[in-house]
Amino acid sequence: MLRLSILPYLGAVLMSLAPLRAGADAPAEAGRPASTARDSAQRRPAPGTPQALLDTLLFNPDTRTETVTALLASGEAGLQGLFQNLFKGNVYEYAGPESGAAGRMLVIGGAEEERDNETWVPLLRVLPMEPLKTATGGPAYAKLVDLVELETDREVRAMIQPVLTAMDLKSPDRLKRKSAALALGETGDAALTPLLKTARASETDAGVIQLMDEALARIDLKSADPAARAEAAARLGAIHSVNVLPELKAMVATDNPAEADPRVRKSVDKAIHNIESFQSFTGAVQNVFTGLSLGSILILMALGLAIIFGLMGVINMAHGEFMMIGAYATFLIQGAFQKYLPASCFDWFLPLSLPLSFLAAGGVGMVVEMTIIKRLYGRPLETLLATWGLSLLLIQTARSLFGDLTAVSTPSFLARGWEIFPQVVLPFNRIFILFLTAVIVAAVSWAFYRTSLGTKIRAVTQNRSMSSCLGIATRRVDALTFGLGTGIAGVAGCALTQIGNVDPSMGQNYIVDSFMVVVTGGVGKLAGTVISGMGIGTLNKFLEPFLQSVYAKVVLLGLVILFLQNRPSGLFPAKGRNEDT
Amino acid sequence: MNQSHNILHAARKGLGALALGLAAYSYAPAETPVKAQEIVKVGILHSLSGTMAISEVSLKDVVTMAVEEINAKGGVNGKKIETVVVDPASDWDLFAEKAKQLVSVDKVAVTFGCWTSVSRKSVLPVYEGADALLFYPVQYEGEECSKSVFYTGATPNQQLIPAAEYLMSKEGGDYKKFYLLGTDYVFPRTANKILRAFLLAKGVPAANIEEEYTPFHHQDYQTIVGKIKKFAAGGKAAVLSTINGDSNVPFYKEFANQGLTSAMCPIMAFSVAEDELRAMDTQYLVGHLAAWNYYQSVKVPSNQTFVKAFKAFAKKNNLPGGDKRVTDDPMEAAYISVNIWAQAAAKAKSFDVDKVRKAAYGLTFQAPGGMVKMDEKNHHLHKPVLIGEIKKDGQFKVVWKSKGLVAPEPWSIYTSPDKGCDHVEHEGTYTKAGK
Amino acid sequence: MKTPRVFGLFARRERTALVLAGLAIVVVPILNAFGVVSDLNLNLMGRWFCFALAALGIDLIWGYTGIMSLCQAVFFCLGGYCIGMHMLLKTGTKSVYGSSLPDFMVWNQVKALPWFWEPFRHFPVALALALAVPVAFAFVFGFFAFRSRIKGVYFSIITQALALAMWLIFLRNETMLGGTNGLTDFKTLLGFQLSDPSSKRWLYVLTAVILALAYFGARYMVGSKLGKVLVAIRDSEHRLRFTGFPVTRYKLFAFCVAALLAAIGGILYVPQTGIITPGRMDVKSSLEMIVWAAVGGRGTLGGPILGAIGVSLAYSFLTSHFPGSWSYFLGILFITVVLFFPEGAVGALAKLKLRRGKAKPAPIPEASHASQSDDDARLSGTVLAAGAGTALTASAETTLTANAATTNASAASATVEATAVLKESV
Repeated sequence: MLRLSILPYLGAVLMSLAPLRAGADAPAEAGRPASTARDSAQRRPAPGTPQALLDTLLFNPDTRTETVTALLASGEAGLQGLFQNLFKGNVYEYAGPESGAAGRMLVIGGAEEERDNETWVPLLRVLPMEPLKTATGGPAYAKLVDLVELETDREVRAMIQPVLTAMDLKSPDRLKRKSAALALGETGDAALTPLLKTARASETDAGVIQLMDEALARIDLKSADPAARAEAAARLGAIHSVNVLPELKAMVATDNPAEADPRVRKSVDKAIHNIESFQSFTGAVQNVFTGLSLGSILILMALGLAIIFGLMGVINMAHGEFMMIGAYATFLIQGAFQKYLPASCFDWFLPLSLPLSFLAAGGVGMVVEMTIIKRLYGRPLETLLATWGLSLLLIQTARSLFGDLTAVSTPSFLARGWEIFPQVVLPFNRIFILFLTAVIVAAVSWAFYRTSLGTKIRAVTQNRSMSSCLGIATRRVDALTFGLGTGIAGVAGCALTQIGNVDPSMGQNYIVDSFMVVVTGGVGKLAGTVISGMGIGTLNKFLEPFLQSVYAKVVLLGLVILFLQNRPSGLFPAKGRNEDT
Repeated sequence: MNQSHNILHAARKGLGALALGLAAYSYAPAETPVKAQEIVKVGILHSLSGTMAISEVSLKDVVTMAVEEINAKGGVNGKKIETVVVDPASDWDLFAEKAKQLVSVDKVAVTFGCWTSVSRKSVLPVYEGADALLFYPVQYEGEECSKSVFYTGATPNQQLIPAAEYLMSKEGGDYKKFYLLGTDYVFPRTANKILRAFLLAKGVPAANIEEEYTPFHHQDYQTIVGKIKKFAAGGKAAVLSTINGDSNVPFYKEFANQGLTSAMCPIMAFSVAEDELRAMDTQYLVGHLAAWNYYQSVKVPSNQTFVKAFKAFAKKNNLPGGDKRVTDDPMEAAYISVNIWAQAAAKAKSFDVDKVRKAAYGLTFQAPGGMVKMDEKNHHLHKPVLIGEIKKDGQFKVVWKSKGLVAPEPWSIYTSPDKGCDHVEHEGTYTKAGK
Repeated sequence: MKTPRVFGLFARRERTALVLAGLAIVVVPILNAFGVVSDLNLNLMGRWFCFALAALGIDLIWGYTGIMSLCQAVFFCLGGYCIGMHMLLKTGTKSVYGSSLPDFMVWNQVKALPWFWEPFRHFPVALALALAVPVAFAFVFGFFAFRSRIKGVYFSIITQALALAMWLIFLRNETMLGGTNGLTDFKTLLGFQLSDPSSKRWLYVLTAVILALAYFGARYMVGSKLGKVLVAIRDSEHRLRFTGFPVTRYKLFAFCVAALLAAIGGILYVPQTGIITPGRMDVKSSLEMIVWAAVGGRGTLGGPILGAIGVSLAYSFLTSHFPGSWSYFLGILFITVVLFFPEGAVGALAKLKLRRGKAKPAPIPEASHASQSDDDARLSGTVLAAGAGTALTASAETTLTANAATTNASAASATVEATAVLKESV
């Protein structure tokens, strides 16, 4: 009943695409004298008009539900702002110089502003929705505490909800359109068909079209005509509509099926089969992707460690903290962008952060090498202890500098994901990390095997004294190698801000995993790290659906330990005759 | 040859110094007797380092502020309050040790402290053994009723049940399927036990309830979000989340990035408050829900004063974050704790534990978020329940609030209908007659 | 020529240790009974002695055998959990829920006691398991690891992964071991009320006695042929293997003994602390145990014991008086010890004294080649670490400097002096 009653209103809403948000967008009524507005507020409006209903809304709290029903039925397009704000709780009773003879008036609160430690709200009229003017003609403001919120109960909000949903069909935000289509489909209300069809006609986004088609078919699925139902089921099957699967299954359930007609049931069965086979396909795609994604993160984390451990024999337990440094560098750069640059450039903070976090972490790494690590070469266990001590220091320092809580935003080009199929979204941030890892692995192998620095690094690790004799500054090469390893950790930290937290102890979550990757891969070749990272990542993700995440991880650690039983030095052991490797 | 003598000497001196060290440590630093007349000591037992520092430091700050406020008004019973701050360093064993130290060495009149359930359970024997008082300011799983503890956070019926009821209501979205997702520890486990019992009692079929736990600091939510997506495919599904701390950011990010929105499947969080939201990129959380007893955005004058005072306090003391700091539910509860205790001590005209305890029964306090009342019998607070929607600025928009105060039920009627908590007519937990 | 010298030294060293043991076992409890040492501090010392047991184990396997195991805290906790399970079952219906099941099972909705809890009803069985489980665990893991010749940093990293895996398993509530909250709410042990101060005193005495026995046992062990073989493994495993020694067997033995000592520490720790949680066995805990040995001086037996006590003392002190400073302290301690005092505080002090005494520049053993003869000197050095957090550093140093002149003091006077210093302090 309710849905039918709001239809005229919906029509009006969809015809007009006036700005919906309260506040800045409200059309300024230039040239219109303030006194006119005040007069209209003081005149007693004719009963039954929206204006009169608004008065009732204000003065008769007991009949609020009925009044809102009547307002919804009035079809007045100018009221959409009221409904939106009523739903959000931004409609207030206001008593001030502008409220006229009645002493009180209904206002909509705009975006809150902080001034002198008080929260101020710009006031807007309800109908038409426009800024309220003071006697001097300036915009009227009120302290938030002085306003009384027009309390709405559950029922009122429940009535407004479908109106807002329907309005969302025209929203510029595709996610809102999707949600709206989904919600309207769930109602299965035939009265909504014209609305959906109109919206479908002008829709361009494939994802939204999919959901609108689904919504239309879902409505038809409730049709009285068996042929229409069968045809709707076939349509749903063809578009692989996962959302309707529970509903379809209920139609053909073995005990007490919702569908009586055998022909329809046949069509439904076929649709279910279609959808389910599609689902298992997309499930596999998703699994592979999540595995690759986790693998790429593991590689990114372990790469720097592999360089430091494999080439220098240093067990860097503070590796995670160098990632933390990279993450905080990103955080600081983001802060600088917010403070000094226009909002339109904001997204560029991430591309800039990548090299800068490399430099920050690498720089700290080189300092650490020159002060601590250089005294410990050839004593791997001692480096383990010293770097662990270092990690405690770095964590506590970060904590006192930044406090415990910080956030890095995702630039808009990495938000959301790539919807390769309906229901299968590959998040951009993960795709980004996948590419970043590939680029860095390529860059590192290029640096190692194609540049003179790489040659020097390899020479020093193979025979230090001989390299020194040949004129290589071994000390400098050591520092550079360590700096390179920690710098890559910094980049990993920068990338991780796009997935998880930035907090002082974030590195601790990753350190053991990183070591497992390095140890499994062996320290002979970079390829070892890449293969073991991908292997551990995908294996983990294939185990996870069967075991819970913890057990998947435990099983994986067990497998790694077993693997090392057979190959104590990993996949690609370092070649040499040193008895301790 | 000389070496051995040297070594021996070193050893001997080492022994002496060690003995000296141990013996001196055994002695508590002597108090100056004059000062002791004018002050009353209270303990603050919150982790200032380690994993829990992220949450607990704010509580230490707000307790310190409350104490300063009371001292500025002349203290309690003519004495100034002095805080003894210790750092249990997120180490559960150390919690018990520090509690013992506060109670037996520093002889504090009361302790404000703990966040996690395990830390509370760890210190409980200490407070019960010494008949000392602890004020615990965090929402918790209930099923506890200690004479030595005043619980100023929410019980399950002051947070969990109203939230689930709201989601099931027409206004809340008429949700039919619930994914109970939590971090694997006592609060989520018990919370979900109660929620499950409640949902089943309300006719939600068991097939529509899914339960899953992740370890602390879990970062990779790809698989779980995939599962939720499948679960929510039919529509009308909501997530009830008791995910703790740093796992929230990766969870919400993954949730949004896989194309789920609050309109399709809202997340109702029980452990995400303003203080945690400071750490998050809120664009992913907008529109999701939380259930608490207080929000910084509550529009009453007492709250504005509180928020302003705290920001000023943070700025004055150069706390990290300065006046960007926010207040949230556990902080309000900690603030209430100090004030209720001070009121009770003033009413009892004494700091004696038993007298203060009795005086606290039935006390009311104009808390920042509105009037609250200490129960006459069960050591828990009567509080309002508010459901809030997360806004872009990390604040909450209240979308539902309870009518009046909700009475605390330490033992949920859905899981332990036969149990009650009463320290006046019974000795704590008792079995209700007729059951 | 060398033999009588070493023999004499051995006797003196034992006497020194005996004095310490006597103090800890007899004097401190008496002082406690008279209220001079508070219950809190007695309890603290008891717990530190448990840590010292674990540290002693680490010294055997790391300091002497050269294997750095990063999962000793796991063995410590396995022992602790076993005894905790027994005590929890004895709590019975006196728990919060009043159920015969442990509390956490009630909120985990478990209806019947899991099978593996059953044996822990009886104390002798529980105790036997508390000793056997960690050792068996170490045996199986060590067998596979040593057999495939995983060593050096690889062994360390694998043990660390093992610690992580065990920690994750114990954190799960499905494991039925209490999850994050672990086991708590113990009331009695062998019929004694744990809250009773006299039970605590006896537990303390028991711990001190066991620590003393373990110390002398370890002393005997490293002095025997076995000990020499272990040191040889540390210094050159390959050479020893080629000589025909069954190296794997020796390593396995040392690993099991270390696990046993850690487990005994855990068994004694839990009743004195009143709680055992997986937090005690995380990756960090095992590393902290390594620090005890490193700070005190590995490759000595007294050093790690004093290291454990000293670092724990500093932990307790700093977290009370300088909240938030603990991480800095520990971090700096780590780096300083590794960089500047690789033989631990004990060795550093001996070095210092050598320089002052203008003795012949005797070669100071490298960290990994530390010889036993520095042992007692290392003992004293630890005190610096122990005292670092307290206001006592100054006075301790004064004492040391004052005594530095009398380099030829006899063993007897050493004892007298130590006692005198103690009297002063009391």
